[in-house]
Amino acid sequence: MHAASTHLAWLVLLPPLGAAAGITLLALNRPAVSARLSIGAILAAFGVSLVLFTQGVEGRTAWTWLSIDDGRGTFVAELGLRLDHLSCLMLLVVTGVGSVIHIYSLGYMRGDRSVGRYFAGLSLFSFSMLGIVLADNFLMLFICWELVGVSSYLLIGFWFERPAAADASKKAFLTNRLGDFGFLLGIILLWAAFGTLDFAELEQRIGAGTTPWLPSLVGLLIFCGAVGKSAQFPLHVWLPDAMEGPTPVSALIHAATMVAAGVYMLCRVFFVFAAPGSAAPDVIAWVGGGTALLAALIAVQQNDIKRILAYSTLSQLGYMVLAVGLAGMAAGAHPVPAMYHLTTHACFKALLFLGAGSVICALRHEQDIWRMGGLARRMPITFWTFLAATLALCGIPPFSGFFSKDAILALAWERQPVLLGLAVAVAFLTSFYMFRLVWVAFLGPAKSQAPDHARESPAVMTLPLLVLTVPSVVAGFWGIDSYLIEHFRPGEGLSAPGWLGQLTAPFHHAPVAAFSGLIAALLGIVFAWRLYSHRVQDPLPGLLDAAARPLRDKFYFDEFYGRLIAWTQDTLARGADAVDRWVIGGALVKGASGSIELCGRLLRLVQTGSLQTYAFLFVLGAVVAIVLMLGW
Amino acid sequence: MSDLTAIGLELAVMVTALAVLLLDLWTPPEQKRQLGYVAAIAVGVIFVASFAVLIPEPRMAFGGMYRLDELSLYFKRFFLLTALVVLLMSIEIADRIEAGFPEYCALHLFALTGMMLAASAYHFAMVFVALELIAVTFYILTSYQRRRLASLEAGVKYLVLSAVASAFLVYGIALVFGASGTLDFARLADRSNTGSHRMLELGLLLVFLGLTFKLASVPFQFWAPDVYQGAPTPTVAFLALGSKAAGVALLIRVFHEAAPAIGRGWHGLFAGVSAATMLYGVLCAIPQRNLKRLLGYSSIANGGLVFMGLSTFSAPGLSAVLYFLAAYLFTLGAAFFVLCLVAPTAEDADIPALTGLHRRSPLLAAALALSMVSLAGIPPLAGFFGKFLLIKAALENGPSWPAMYALASVALLTAVISISYYFGVIRAIYWPGETEREVVRDPEPIVLSGLTRAVLWFCIVGMLWLGIAPDKMLILAEHAVRALAL
Repeated sequence: MHAASTHLAWLVLLPPLGAAAGITLLALNRPAVSARLSIGAILAAFGVSLVLFTQGVEGRTAWTWLSIDDGRGTFVAELGLRLDHLSCLMLLVVTGVGSVIHIYSLGYMRGDRSVGRYFAGLSLFSFSMLGIVLADNFLMLFICWELVGVSSYLLIGFWFERPAAADASKKAFLTNRLGDFGFLLGIILLWAAFGTLDFAELEQRIGAGTTPWLPSLVGLLIFCGAVGKSAQFPLHVWLPDAMEGPTPVSALIHAATMVAAGVYMLCRVFFVFAAPGSAAPDVIAWVGGGTALLAALIAVQQNDIKRILAYSTLSQLGYMVLAVGLAGMAAGAHPVPAMYHLTTHACFKALLFLGAGSVICALRHEQDIWRMGGLARRMPITFWTFLAATLALCGIPPFSGFFSKDAILALAWERQPVLLGLAVAVAFLTSFYMFRLVWVAFLGPAKSQAPDHARESPAVMTLPLLVLTVPSVVAGFWGIDSYLIEHFRPGEGLSAPGWLGQLTAPFHHAPVAAFSGLIAALLGIVFAWRLYSHRVQDPLPGLLDAAARPLRDKFYFDEFYGRLIAWTQDTLARGADAVDRWVIGGALVKGASGSIELCGRLLRLVQTGSLQTYAFLFVLGAVVAIVLMLGW
Repeated sequence: MSDLTAIGLELAVMVTALAVLLLDLWTPPEQKRQLGYVAAIAVGVIFVASFAVLIPEPRMAFGGMYRLDELSLYFKRFFLLTALVVLLMSIEIADRIEAGFPEYCALHLFALTGMMLAASAYHFAMVFVALELIAVTFYILTSYQRRRLASLEAGVKYLVLSAVASAFLVYGIALVFGASGTLDFARLADRSNTGSHRMLELGLLLVFLGLTFKLASVPFQFWAPDVYQGAPTPTVAFLALGSKAAGVALLIRVFHEAAPAIGRGWHGLFAGVSAATMLYGVLCAIPQRNLKRLLGYSSIANGGLVFMGLSTFSAPGLSAVLYFLAAYLFTLGAAFFVLCLVAPTAEDADIPALTGLHRRSPLLAAALALSMVSLAGIPPLAGFFGKFLLIKAALENGPSWPAMYALASVALLTAVISISYYFGVIRAIYWPGETEREVVRDPEPIVLSGLTRAVLWFCIVGMLWLGIAPDKMLILAEHAVRALAL
C-alpha cells in the first residue's frame, strides 16, 4: 500500500543470508551461536512476513545490479521482489513451517559434530527459497532455484561419510540439473522471443498474442524445471533417496517447501500455460496424475517410515501438478486449488516428518516400521499429532487436507472425468498406506525390543509438533482459497460463509467429487484396519502374490535408469572415445593445453633471473617497438 | 600562496614523513612500532581530508607544471588508501625489519608523495621528478631486508632495470623537447595537433616505453616476478598498486592530454602491448608454485588489461580503468595482507605451504580465497566488474576498429586460463592433496589482532561492495574522467 513498506521484503530475504554467511565465516565450530543465528534469522523473517501479510502490502521493489544497453535493447539484471497475495501466503508458509523446523532441529541435531554446518545449510536454504518466492523475474528465480538445489545437495549429504548419503545427494543434484537444463532453455527462449524476463511484462506480451506453438514449447520447457524440483515422473527417483538427510531437512526441504517450489513456480508463471492453444496443460495434468498414482502404489509396499512419507509427498505433489494442469485446460481459469493444497500439505506433511523424526530419535535411529509397534502409549503427543496429520493427509473432514484435496477433485470433475477417477483411486491408496503405517507403528503390538525403551521426545521437539497441528487441523476454515482467488481474479474472492457453511460447501458445490473422495478415503482406512490391526508382518505380499514385488521394488525405476544410463553411456562413450582420442584428444586438447604449457615453459626460459638477459631483452623489445611504430 | 594550497595534500604527507623520521630520534627501540600507527593514522586523516577538497574547475600551479583536477584527485585518493593498507601491513611485519622500522614507513610516505605528484604532473620535468622520487625510494625499499639474499637481489634488479627504463624516459623527454621546444603539456598539445614530427614521435615512443616499466608490461615486464618474490611484502603491495597506478596516471596524461592526436593514432600500439602483456602474464603464471611470483605474473596480466582500457581512448574505457584499479586495490590488499601474516619469507609463500590455512584461521583463508576469486573475475566480486567494464568498453570500440574484438577475445581467453591457477590456490587452502595433508595434522592457529581483522574485513567488504553495488564507484570514476577533454 505504501511505497516504502514494499522495501520490508528485503528484511524477509536478508536475515537468513546474513545468518548463513555469518555462520560459515565465523561460527562453524560454535554450535550454540550458529543455532541462535539461524533460528533468530528465520524468526525475524517470519515476523516481517506476518507484518507484510496482515498489512496487505502489495507491489514490487527492485535493486538493479547491472543494466547493459547493447544497442538492440537494454538487458537489465536486477533482483526484483514482488509482493502480492501469492508470495505473501507462500512467505508465511516457508518462514512459518521453517521456524518450527529450525527450532525442532535444535533437539534433533543435539550432539552432532557439525551443527554449525547444518544450520549454515539450513539458513542458506531459507534464503534461496525465500528468493524463489519473492522473485519477480526469471533471472532471479533461476539463480535462487539453483541455490536451493545446492543447499539441498549440501543437506542431503550432510552425513557425507555415509556412502548412501553421499550418493543420494549426488543423485538429487544431477537429476535436478537434468530438469533445470530444460528450464534454462525455456528461459532463454522466452528472452529471445519477448526480450524480457520480467513476469509482469511477460504476462502482458504473451497476453498480446504470439505464434501458437511458442507458449506450448516454452510451457513444456519450463515445466521441465518443475518436474525436476517437484520430483515428478520421470525424474521422481531422487526424492525417496533424499531421505538420507537429517529428518528435519526432509521435513523442510523435501516435503514442505523446496519440492513445492516447482508447483509454486508453475502458479507464478501460470500465464504461460493459460495462453490459448497451449498443449502444455494436458501434458502437465497427465504427468501429475500419473506421478500421484505411481507413487501411491509404491508407498503401499514400503517399510521405511521416511520412505513411505517420501512417496506420499511425491503422490501429493502429483496432485498439485495435476491441479495446475487441469486449471490450464480451460481459458480464464486459475490454479488456486494447487496453491491451496500446497499450503495445507506443507503444514501436515512437515508435521508427519517431524513426528517420524521424533519416533526415529526415540528408537535410536530405527526406521523400519516392522520393528516398531505400540508407540501410541509410549509417545502420546507424537502419536496424536501424527494421527491428526494423517487424517488431514487422507482428506477426512474437517481436517485441512479435506478442503484442499476436494478443491482439486472438484476441478477434475469439471474438466476431465478420467483424471477424477485416477485422483479418487489415489485418495483410496493414500489413506490405505497411511493407516497401514499408523497401525503397524503406533497401534499394533510391538514387533521388536526397540519400542520397549521408547520415551516421549523432549519439549523442544514436541512443541513444534503441537504448533504444526493447529494449521493441519483448522487451516480449512481460514479462507485461504478466497485469499488466493483475490490474486488471480481481484474482487471475486468468495465471501466466507461461516464454519458450518465452509464445512458443507464442498458437498453442495460438487457433490460427486466430494463424496467419492470421502468414501475412497474411508474405504482405505477400513481396508488398512482389516489387514494390519494385529499383524506382525506384512500380509499383502501373500495376498497379491507376484503383483506386490514390483511395488516393493519401486517399479524398477532405479534399475531401469541404471541400465539406461549405463547403456547410453557405454554407447556414447564408445563414440565419444573415438572422437575424443583422435580428434579432440590428439589435435585439440593435447594441442591446446600442451601448447599453453609449452608456451609457459618456454617463456619461463626467458625468465632466467639473469640481469644482463633482462636488460638485453628490454632493449630488444624497445627496438622492435620503434621499428614497428616508426618504420625505421 | 595559492600554489602551496594546491599541493596541500602532498605537503601533509611530506610533513608526516619528516615527523616520523624526527620522532624516531626520541622513541625507544621497543616502541618504534608505534610510529607505524602514527604514520597510518596520519595517512588515514589525509585520505578523509581529501574529500573536503573541492575543485569546481581544474587549478594550475607552479607555472602550469602542476594540475589539480578531478582525475588527479581520484588517483591521489587511490594512492592514499593504498598507502594506508600498506602501512598497516608494515606494522604486521615490523619485527622482521631489522634496519629501522620508522625509516621504512617514512620511505613509503616519500614514495607516496611521488605518486601523488605524478598524478598531477602537467610538465615533463615534473613527470621525471615525480617518477624518480618513486623509483629512488623503491631502490631502498625493495632491498630493505639487507640480510636476506633474495631481498638484496630484488633490490639490485630493480635498481638496474629501473635505471634503464629511466634512461629511455629521459631520452624521450629530451627528444620531445628538441622537436617541440616545450615540456609543458598544454603547449605541447597545441603544437602536436598542428602536425606530427618524426622526432617528436620517437620521443613520445621512448616515454611510452619508459612508462611500461612502471606497469610491468611488455616489453619491460621481466623484472616483476623476481622483484615481487624477493622484496618485503608491503613494498611489493605498494609496487603492484601504487607504482603501477602512477604509471597509468601518467600514460593517461601524456597520451590523452599532451599529445592526444599522436596517442589516438597509436591505439594499435596500446592494443598490441595489451594483448602481449596479458598472454605473457597468464602463460607464465601457469607453472608457478610460489604465491608471490604468481601474484607477480598476475600483476603483469592485469597490467595488460589496463592497457586494453587505455587503448580505447574513450571515456567508458578510461573510467573502466579507474574502476578496475579501485577493485584491484581491495583485492590485492587482501591477498598481500594475508601473505604478510602467513608467509614471513618468500620461501613460505609456496602454494603448498598454504595447506590447511582455513583451519589455522578461517578469516585469513576466506580473505585470500575471496581475493583469488575476485582476481579470477567471478561475480559478484569486484574483479568481475572491473574486467566486465574493460571488456565492454573494448567491445564498444569494435565497430570503429574491428581489432578490438580480437583484443577482447584475448582478454576473455586469458581470463579463462587464469581461473586455473587462481583456483589452484583456493584448492591448496581448502582441499590439500594427500601428501600435504600429512603435514597439517596439528595446525597451529594464527591469532589475529583486532586491527588486522578490521583491515581484512575492510578489504572483503570493499571487494563485495564494488562487485554488488558498483554505481557509486563508477560515478566517481566517470566524474574523474570528465576532467579530461575527450
